[in-house]
Amino acid sequence: MKIDIAIIGGGAAGLAAAIAANNSAVRILVIEREEQLGGILNQCIHNGFGLHVFKEELTGPEYASRYMDAFYEKNIEFMLHTTVVDIKKTNDFLVTVTSLEQGLQKIEAKAVILSSGCYERTRGSIMLPGERPKGIMPAGSAQRYLNIDGYLVGKKVFILGSGDIGLIMARRMTLEGAEVLGVAELMPYSNGLTRNIVQCLHDFDIPLYLSHTVTNVKGKDRLEQITIQEVDSKFNPIEGTEKVFDVDTLLLSVGLIPDITLFDSLSLKKHSVTKSAIVNQFYEANISGLFVCGNALHVHDLVDYVTIESEKAGKNALDYVLNPRKPSKHVHEIQLNENIRYVVPQMIDFEYFDVPIELSFRVTKKMNKGIFKIIQNNQIIMTKKAKNLAPAEMEKMSINPNILIDSSPLMLTLEEVEV
Amino acid sequence: MYDYIIIGSGIIGTTIARELSKYDVKILVLEKENDVANHQTIANSAVIHSGHDPKENTLKARLCVEGNALYEEMEKELHIPLLRTGAFVIAHNDEEENTLNDLYERALHNGVTEISFFSKQEALKLESNLPDDITKALSLPSTKVTYPWEVAFACLENAIINGASFQKDSEVTKIKKTGEIFEVEVNFKEIIKTKSIISAAGIFSDTIAQMIEKDVQYKMKPRKGEYFVLDRKVKRFMNHVIYPLPTAKGKGVLIIPQVHGNILLGPTSTLQDEKDLVSNTKEGLNQIREDVKHLAKNIPFDQVIRTFAGIRSSCTYDDFFIQESKEIKNYFHVAGIDSPGLTAAPAIAKYLVNEVLKSHQLKKNPNFNPIRIKRDAFYHLDDKTQQDLIKENPYYGNLVCKCEKITEAEIMEAIHGPLGNDTIKGIKKRARAGSGLCQGGYCEGTILRIIARETKQPVNKINYYSQNTPILVQETKVKP
Amino acid sequence: MREMICIACPVGCHLTIDENLHVKGNLCQRGEKYAIEEITHPTRILTTTVKTTSLINPRLSVKTKDPIPKELLFEAMEILNSITIENNVKIGDVIVKNILNTGVDMIATKTIIINNK
Repeated sequence: MKIDIAIIGGGAAGLAAAIAANNSAVRILVIEREEQLGGILNQCIHNGFGLHVFKEELTGPEYASRYMDAFYEKNIEFMLHTTVVDIKKTNDFLVTVTSLEQGLQKIEAKAVILSSGCYERTRGSIMLPGERPKGIMPAGSAQRYLNIDGYLVGKKVFILGSGDIGLIMARRMTLEGAEVLGVAELMPYSNGLTRNIVQCLHDFDIPLYLSHTVTNVKGKDRLEQITIQEVDSKFNPIEGTEKVFDVDTLLLSVGLIPDITLFDSLSLKKHSVTKSAIVNQFYEANISGLFVCGNALHVHDLVDYVTIESEKAGKNALDYVLNPRKPSKHVHEIQLNENIRYVVPQMIDFEYFDVPIELSFRVTKKMNKGIFKIIQNNQIIMTKKAKNLAPAEMEKMSINPNILIDSSPLMLTLEEVEV
Repeated sequence: MYDYIIIGSGIIGTTIARELSKYDVKILVLEKENDVANHQTIANSAVIHSGHDPKENTLKARLCVEGNALYEEMEKELHIPLLRTGAFVIAHNDEEENTLNDLYERALHNGVTEISFFSKQEALKLESNLPDDITKALSLPSTKVTYPWEVAFACLENAIINGASFQKDSEVTKIKKTGEIFEVEVNFKEIIKTKSIISAAGIFSDTIAQMIEKDVQYKMKPRKGEYFVLDRKVKRFMNHVIYPLPTAKGKGVLIIPQVHGNILLGPTSTLQDEKDLVSNTKEGLNQIREDVKHLAKNIPFDQVIRTFAGIRSSCTYDDFFIQESKEIKNYFHVAGIDSPGLTAAPAIAKYLVNEVLKSHQLKKNPNFNPIRIKRDAFYHLDDKTQQDLIKENPYYGNLVCKCEKITEAEIMEAIHGPLGNDTIKGIKKRARAGSGLCQGGYCEGTILRIIARETKQPVNKINYYSQNTPILVQETKVKP
Repeated sequence: MREMICIACPVGCHLTIDENLHVKGNLCQRGEKYAIEEITHPTRILTTTVKTTSLINPRLSVKTKDPIPKELLFEAMEILNSITIENNVKIGDVIVKNILNTGVDMIATKTIIINNK
C-alpha cells in the first residue's frame, strides 16, 4: 500500500493533524490500535477540556467527538485495531502494521506523523521499595478499568502523585464506592490544578500529604499496607515520620513518558528532558519527513494545546509532501537558562523562519512573577512578563521573525521578579 | 501408587522429573503454588556459570561444570533460549589480580577448559563500558545466560509427555511412612502413596524434611538477593556477564545481559529470617548502585524498568545436600541448592538418578522422547513464516503486548498449552507479555479479557497470580 | 471562619470567609462571589458513567448539564447506578431529566450504538 502521510495514533493529536493535513492531492491514513478513535480522551470522562479551543468546558469524550465528527466528514482513511510494529526509512518510510482482521501489511509513506501519546511511569521505574503484591497500578490503567470496563480495581485506595490524573482518580473512585485514604506528593506543592485539589480532595476530605512519598509496600499476594514518609529538601525520607495505611490498592500518578519506542531502531535524536524527539519549528524530527506532535512529543496539560500543535504538524506534513524543503544550514538549538526546563521546538531553522514560531516551554520552579526574555547576539529582542509560573503549567511565547537581528541562535531566559 | 513423588516444581524438581522420566517409573511432581516455578527459579541472575567460583572438590564445583556442558544438549533437545555471552571477572589492582590468579587456578582444578587472561586494553576493546581503572580480566567464554523458568517449563513438559504427572495447588502437609510406603498428605486432605520421595522444595526443604525426620541435618538460611532490571533498549551497554572478585559473602553484584535483551544488575546478599519475604529495600538497591560502579561506567540507571528480589535456598550445610536420608530409607534430600544451582540443575538430576538412586536399579524407558518443540516468538520469525502462521491463525495478527511484540495467538497458546495457566503472571512467564517497558500498563486489560474469554470465566475472576488476587475487584453499578 | 482556595482563575487566592459572609484575600470580585457561593450553596458538575447492555461499551459517560448542589452528589450517583441503558444514545441525549429535582438534566457525553440481541 502506498500513501503520502501515515498518522500513527488516532487520538486528539492524530485527529487534529489528519484534519489539518487533509487535501485532495494527498492520501492520508490514520492508524489506531484501539477499536475506536479518540485515544485517551475516551476514558477522561471528567470536564475541563476545550476551554481554549471551543470556549466551552467539555468532557474528554465530548472533545474527542467534535474532532471525530470533523474527521469522519472529511472521509480520511483510517484503520482501527491496527498496531504499527516497525518503521524503516530508505527514501520513503516503510511502516509495518498488523491487525487481527488484515494480518501483517507493509505501507509506504512519504511522511509519518507520530501522534502516539504517552505511557505511564511504572512502579519499577521509580524503584519503589517493598514487596510486589497485586494491587499497585498506574492511575490511568485504573481509570480505564473503571470508566470503560466498569470495574473498581480496589476498595481501599492510596494514591502516589498529586498530578491531575491522581486527583481525578481520587474523586472518581470515591464516587464509585471506594475509600481513598490519601494522596502523597513528593514535592512541597501539588502539580495538579487548584480546582482539582478542591473538587477532588477537599470535597471528599481526602488528605494531601505534601513532601511525602511511599517508602514501603507490604503484602505477599495482595497489597495490604503502605508506608509513607516525609522527605527533606533532597527528597530523602525523614526517619520517624512514617505513616502507615491499610489499603488494597496503590495508584501511581508519577509521570507520563512519550511513547516513541518505535523509533529506537531509526537514529532519532532524542531530548533528555522531554524523552522524545528533538524537533524544529515544523515539528519535524532529525529524520526528514518524520513529524511528532501531541503527548508523543512532550507531555501536555491541556488537550487544547495538543490540538493546536498537531494542526500545525499536520499542515507541515502536507507541505512536506507537496513541496519538500531543501535541507538548510541555519539550524540552531534554542539556548535556555537554568529556569527553563525545556522548550519545544528545540531547534529553529532560520532559513525558513518567515512566519511566527510558537514556543512551548516549562519552568523549573514556581514563581509568583517573572520575566521571559528572548536574546540574540547578546541583545534582548523580546520580553514577556508573567505571573503564577509553575512547572505544571506549560507556557507559550510567539516569536515573530521581524524581531530577529540575524540568523544566529536564540536564547530563552526566565528571571524571577522580586515581589 | 507412585514410584517417586518429587516435591517442588522449580528448576531442580523439574530437571529431576525429566531425568527420571527417562526410566520406566511412575512419577508425580507436587507443587504447592498454582503454577510451575514460583520462587527461586523466577528470581535469580539466570547465569550458567563456568565453574570458576565454587570451592574445589565440592559437589557444587563438579556439578556446576557438568551442568554448564549439559545446557548445550538441553538447548537442542528442549529448545530453551541460551545466550552465549561469555564472562569477565575484573581486577582493579595488584591485590585483586592475585585473587584473579587464584580463581584461574580454581577454575582449572574444577574442570573449566575455556579460560584465559585479558589485558585491560583487550577487555575494554570488547566491552567499552568496563571501568577505566581495571587492570586485568579473566575471560570465561563458557559462561552463558538462559531463561530459567522456561527451562523449568520445558523440562516438566518433556517429563509429562514421557509419562510423569504434575499436580499444582498441592501443598504437602504431612508425610507418614508405613512399612515401605510413604503416605503423603496434600492440602490436609488428599493422601497419595509413593515408594520414594525426592524433596526439591527449595527454601522449604527443612520444613518438609521435618515432617518425617527427627533430626534434619541442615537448617535453611534464607538469603535475599535484590536486582535492578534495565530496559532492552540499552542492551548494548554490556555484552558479557561481568563479575567482581568474590568475597566471603559470595560472588557479589554482577552485570548480567539477559536472553531477551534486558540487563540485570545484582544480586545483593542479605541474610534474613523470613523464607518468603521478597521485598526490595532502599538499602539493597543503593548497595547495587554502589557496587556496580566498580564493574562499569556510563551505567544507564534511567532505564530501570523493574526491581525484584529472590531468596536463595542457602543452608547450614556447606555444599549441595543431595543424599538419601540417614533416618528414613527412600527419602531423598536435594537441598541447599543456592548458586550455582541453576547451572548445576541438569547435572544434579543426573547425579541423583545415576549415583544416589543407583541401588534402585532403574530400567530405562524405551519410549523416552527427549525432544520438546517450541516455536520462537512470532516476531523473531522470518517474514514468510509469519505470513504462513497468520493465514493459519489470524490471531497472530493481533499484537497485544506492543513493548515485547507478543501476539494474541501466543497468549492463547500460553493459556491452553501443555502447562497452560490462566493468571496474568502465568501468561507473563510463558509468553512474556507485560514484561517490557510499560510493564503491562497497556496490555494487561487485553490479556485479562483474552484469558476470560478463553477460559470462559468472568473478567473479575481472573487472578494476577495466586488464588484470590483478582485485578478487577468489584464491578460497579451491579447489585451484590 | 472558613478558609478556602478560590478556583475562579489560575491565581488561586487564599480566601477566608466569616459567618457574616465577609470575604478576605480575594484579588477580584469573582473571588468574593465564589467564596459566598461555596459557603451558601456550593455546586458541582457531576461526571460519571452509567451501565449499558452493550458488550463493546459497557459504560456510557454522562454529566450534569449544569452544576448541582454539592451535597447531592452521592445521591445522584445512586440514582445513576440503578439505570441500565438498553438503546442507542446520541451525545447530548438526556439520560435523567431534572435529576433530584435540581432542574438539571443528566446528559450523555458519548454516542453509543448498542447491538441488541
